[in-house]
Amino acid sequence: MSSFFFAIFQYLEELFTSRLPFFPSNIRAALFIILFCMVGFSELYLFIFLRRTEQGIRRKRDKIWSEKLTNILANIIVYGDEEDTTTIVEHFLPRLQRLPIHRLSVRKILVKEMLAYNASFTGTVGEVLRELYLRLKLDKVAKKNLNNRYWEIQIEAIRELTQMRVRDITDKLLKYSDDENGQLRMEAQAAFLKLSTTEPFRFLDRARERILDWHQLVLFEVITKTEDIEIPSFSKWLTSANDTVVMLCLKLVSHYQQLDAIPQLIQLLSHPNLLIRIAAIRILGKIEAQTAEETMLAIYFDEPVEVRIEILEALGLIASGEHMEFLRARTRSDEFKLRMSAMRSIRAHGRGGKELLNTIYSEETLQNKAIIKHVLDERIK
Amino acid sequence: MVKVLIVEDEELLLKALEFRLKKDGYEVYTAKDGLEGMELIKSQTFDLIITDIMMPYIGGLELVSNVKTNKETKDIPVIILSAIGLEKTVLEAFRLGADDFISKPFNLSELSIRVRKNIKQIL
Repeated sequence: MSSFFFAIFQYLEELFTSRLPFFPSNIRAALFIILFCMVGFSELYLFIFLRRTEQGIRRKRDKIWSEKLTNILANIIVYGDEEDTTTIVEHFLPRLQRLPIHRLSVRKILVKEMLAYNASFTGTVGEVLRELYLRLKLDKVAKKNLNNRYWEIQIEAIRELTQMRVRDITDKLLKYSDDENGQLRMEAQAAFLKLSTTEPFRFLDRARERILDWHQLVLFEVITKTEDIEIPSFSKWLTSANDTVVMLCLKLVSHYQQLDAIPQLIQLLSHPNLLIRIAAIRILGKIEAQTAEETMLAIYFDEPVEVRIEILEALGLIASGEHMEFLRARTRSDEFKLRMSAMRSIRAHGRGGKELLNTIYSEETLQNKAIIKHVLDERIK
Repeated sequence: MVKVLIVEDEELLLKALEFRLKKDGYEVYTAKDGLEGMELIKSQTFDLIITDIMMPYIGGLELVSNVKTNKETKDIPVIILSAIGLEKTVLEAFRLGADDFISKPFNLSELSIRVRKNIKQIL
């Protein structure tokens, strides 16, 4: 076998040293390209081989560390639930300090496992893990990563610090809460809500960037599910110049049934954004704001069909009985949807509404009769 | 000694549960997925099974169904571990015969009490 390689090597040596000058220039060029490719491929294969070996070694090492750390953390979890936080931290801290957590890979595994345990268990376990995380100064790298130029790394750091309730990063979060990058912005806003102890909704004051629809859903979920978050009056932000902030706050006003927002909601009836007007009318109906009826009637004829429908539905929800004549007149609209909404609204006025529909039934057109029958049908909700 | 089987694919959680129940004095067996769990159930008898719902190969629901429809294993209490938001799946597990459930994240002391309670009922 070795003589075979030796023969090849000898042939190549002879080819490139003695015989090369006698070849025509195109053959010489081709031989150089072949040589270049051969050397290139050999280097590439060597690189791949070394890299894979290194990765394999690293994986094995990480697995060993992972097992070790899992055992230590599992012990912390088991005892952490019974002893008090300080005792358990003082007991396990020296053991964890002996680990080479200055090594990035070990730190990564430790933090990953701490976060996983923190998310899986309730009780004092979370407090114990947080205390250990801080005492081991594991937050240092994450805090540094907050300034990383890649937003994925920044988000990872925000998530880590939020889960470990590291509250001294709120200023940074406030800055990112209006970042150009939508993902980073949303992550920072959600984290700010969870971490800020004084004014968790402060980021709304300075939000110039859009809060996208699904961001709003995420924030809504965070706001309504985070324990001990102080809910302010969201009417404060209904005058925001950022329409998406107004939309989010409208959802929250509706969820928390904030009646103090009625004056601002009435003001929103003249908002240039159609969606905001519709949302405001819906909420006014939902919270049965009788004081808004006059304004709704005043804008009715200047509004497109979508808004008119909402106004008619809202009048039905408020059901004050003050505007039956108006509703009666709308049952003669050209638009089918308006007639339907007006009839439904009359029906929503209880017995009086039902009687009115029965009275007008005989005078109505065939289609209106069908609508009245439909809205009076008890089986249809 | 009371024998408990834990079927859970999250290694960290599995380890913590194992440590805790061993500390409580049980003989603990572990399986990393439903298939491994089913094999253990076939090969020996257990006094209690704790199982996750979402697992590879055989899920928690299938495992409950297999245990509860088998004459030899139907009396073994099964505790389901489920994430919040899987209420419908939990109801399905109860319909299949599961005896108790704990939603994640949970308190280990609570789990310990539930295990004790369920074992007491059969002893």
